Amino acid sequence: MLTCKEQVARSSDYLDGQLTFRERLMVRHHLMFCPNCRRFIRQMRLMQATLKRMPQEPVNGADALAERLAAERRKDIM
Amino acid sequence: MAAADDAHLLERLLKGEQRAYKELVTTYQSAMRAVAYAIVGQRHADEVVQDAWLSVVRNLAKFEGRSSLKTWLLTITANAAKGRYKHNRREVLLDDLPSPHGTIGDDRFSPDDGHWAVAPYAWHQDTPEALLTEDELRKCLEHTILSLSQLQSAVLVLRERQGLELEEICNLLSLSLSNVRVLLHRARLKVFATVEHFEETGEC
Repeated sequence: MLTCKEQVARSSDYLDGQLTFRERLMVRHHLMFCPNCRRFIRQMRLMQATLKRMPQEPVNGADALAERLAAERRKDIM
Repeated sequence: MAAADDAHLLERLLKGEQRAYKELVTTYQSAMRAVAYAIVGQRHADEVVQDAWLSVVRNLAKFEGRSSLKTWLLTITANAAKGRYKHNRREVLLDDLPSPHGTIGDDRFSPDDGHWAVAPYAWHQDTPEALLTEDELRKCLEHTILSLSQLQSAVLVLRERQGLELEEICNLLSLSLSNVRVLLHRARLKVFATVEHFEETGEC
């Protein structure tokens, strides 16, 4: 059986689907018996979802840039 | 964005419609900047993105829709970055800098049996929305992301915020899959430690 430390070391690969079938079973097996590691994985997922929803910085000067790019393109089709 | 949306946007871009360019810029510039940042760093990222945009407009008619618009834009950005700054960053590749709240390191586990010595602290919130209502935590996360090495932060941003597949990240940044996996894992553990610290102490 994996130790908690080994489970944590594989956690990103587990979340990204990068483990082999056998390794995946080993992680699942560990999680079944280890509430601390289940909490760890659950909170890793929550952390991922949080990063995803973090507001992005607004793009500075988007209007000016769009104007320039559109003008550039129209030059090509004239 | 789905292929049909791409095609529709492309049509408007080809006509030179300014609103379509605004849409393009606001949708994709953050991802493009993250790619540029990974390759050339903070100082030159903005220039590279500007170069990439011009190259996008000049090559627009050649876009055939074999990849998504996003992948195409990011590939152009990566090429612009690589072409302009051919410096060697290989030796700093796996740089691991200290983070404000540390990481989930060896000291969290018992040296005897590898079980948790200090178990993960149970967070009070269980949705991203609830976590993000804490303005302080948001700033704290930004701070931690900024503390990461150039590649760790870029890989984290591209994966978690921009939703790229690992393989796409490897191709764009010319990194091996195992390097991307290591960079991503280290970055995640540091961000995890930051949220944990915040949940435990209520401060950054």
